[in-house]
Amino acid sequence: MLSLRELQRCFADALLAGEDAHPTMRVAGTTAADRLGIYRRTIATNYRNALGATYPVVRRIVGAGCFHAAVDAYVAIHPSRSGDLNGYGGTFGDFLAGHPAVSDLPYLPDVARLEWKIDEANLAADSITDPDSVLRALAGCPGDRLPSLLLRVDATCRMIESPFPLLRIWQVNQPGYDGEMSVDFAAGPDRLRIRRERLGVALERIAGGDFAWLAALSTGANLAAAIAAAQHADATFDLGGGLHRFIGDGTITGILDGPLTGASGASD
Amino acid sequence: MSNDALPAACGLGLRAPHVRQVLAERPPVPWFEVHSENYFADGGPALAALERIRAACAVSLHGVGLSLGSTDPLSHAHLDRLARLIARVEPALVSEHLCWSGVGGRHFNDLLPLPFTDEAIAILCARIHQAQEYLGREIAVENVSAYVVFDDSTFPEWEFVAEVVRRTGCKLLLDVNNIYVNAMNHGFDADRYLAAMPADAIAEIHLAGFERTDLGLVDTHGARVAPEVWALYRKTIARIGPRPTLIEWDVDIPEFAVLEDEAATAEVVLAEYHAVAS
Repeated sequence: MLSLRELQRCFADALLAGEDAHPTMRVAGTTAADRLGIYRRTIATNYRNALGATYPVVRRIVGAGCFHAAVDAYVAIHPSRSGDLNGYGGTFGDFLAGHPAVSDLPYLPDVARLEWKIDEANLAADSITDPDSVLRALAGCPGDRLPSLLLRVDATCRMIESPFPLLRIWQVNQPGYDGEMSVDFAAGPDRLRIRRERLGVALERIAGGDFAWLAALSTGANLAAAIAAAQHADATFDLGGGLHRFIGDGTITGILDGPLTGASGASD
Repeated sequence: MSNDALPAACGLGLRAPHVRQVLAERPPVPWFEVHSENYFADGGPALAALERIRAACAVSLHGVGLSLGSTDPLSHAHLDRLARLIARVEPALVSEHLCWSGVGGRHFNDLLPLPFTDEAIAILCARIHQAQEYLGREIAVENVSAYVVFDDSTFPEWEFVAEVVRRTGCKLLLDVNNIYVNAMNHGFDADRYLAAMPADAIAEIHLAGFERTDLGLVDTHGARVAPEVWALYRKTIARIGPRPTLIEWDVDIPEFAVLEDEAATAEVVLAEYHAVAS
């Protein structure tokens, strides 16, 4: 008799082997090998459906057949490591970049990366925004401490930069879109902020300096480093304008750390 | 919000395509069940919708990914997320499956079959204890449909299930459709299975539809409950009395009214035996 661990390993190997493979553990009945096929098909369908829900635009662009084949290939190389299928598939965009069947669609990996960030924005923690208290806390911060300040960015906020007109590609592939379908692929690059708002996830183009500044802040850079990144992208970057705009619209929700904590609380 | 018990009435599995309608129309469904993992997120609209529904009625959390029967270590990350969700929605019941889902770190995200052996019972019982201790509450475990049986099995499935429940003192989520599917696929008497189930431990009953294929019955959760399964359900309720019952539908999800119609069929059976019980 196999130990349970040995049996589970044999079963897993049989699932991963092709349809013709016979299980090495002993299973009753002549239809055992065929019956394993029921599991194989259910498992494949689960992953196709799960990634189809996360990547509806990719699926629409390439068609169901191509999408399913890509998912099957992805699962074979990057198997799930968690019992929570909702967190699976975050590297699908990177995978597509090397997937020969879609090599004629160079923008596709970025579409997938965008859709993953939209999914993340949908699942991120809710935040309470109080722009006035953030502005007050900032105004009360001594000047010499400003450079090391860490600003808290809304947990639903994501940034993406692409050489392709990503927003346009995404928009014309939305269900219910019935406008002009043409996309000028030379119209890139796009720098987008993805953020969950009251009515759902919203995408917005952000200019180069502001984009670099927000992207730096959201990856944990302090204010001085974020300003440097912004000025590198755009020498005319306007810090005051950025602060008012992104505190005002709730993208920056507080002062995360440092010598002074705003009304919205200390580190979390 | 109290920790309401599930009423001995027919609830519905809440799936994403129906959430908007349920929130807008507030249909008179006595309780809802959701897949726990679908609400593991930190925040967002799905979780907010569940909290609104929970404010109106009891909710049961049904896990599909804990992999209780695996020989890999139980995932503390998974249990942490589940514990957080439990604190958030105060469910009437938390359930999982008598199955495994992965080995060697690889997950298949499916309900895979166990051999019915002493070793499997010991492993399941230890992990059910561990989960219950971690969560600080009792869980219910569900019998699964299986398409293969292992020659190594030394018990019939019904003795295996009853023994796990007896040893752990956990609750049983009895899936009547799974009993029928397994009885047909593996050639045993469903009545015999039913007779071996510990009546007092049954906290919930699942009903769903299967698909007939050349290879046998496949538990797709994609059809109406079959007449044979309704008959088995009636026998179950006749034996154990009215219990919280759930209609599950996971693929080719129909209009909400179809689920309500299935629930009405279950309510007829429950009403019959409520009358007997009173």
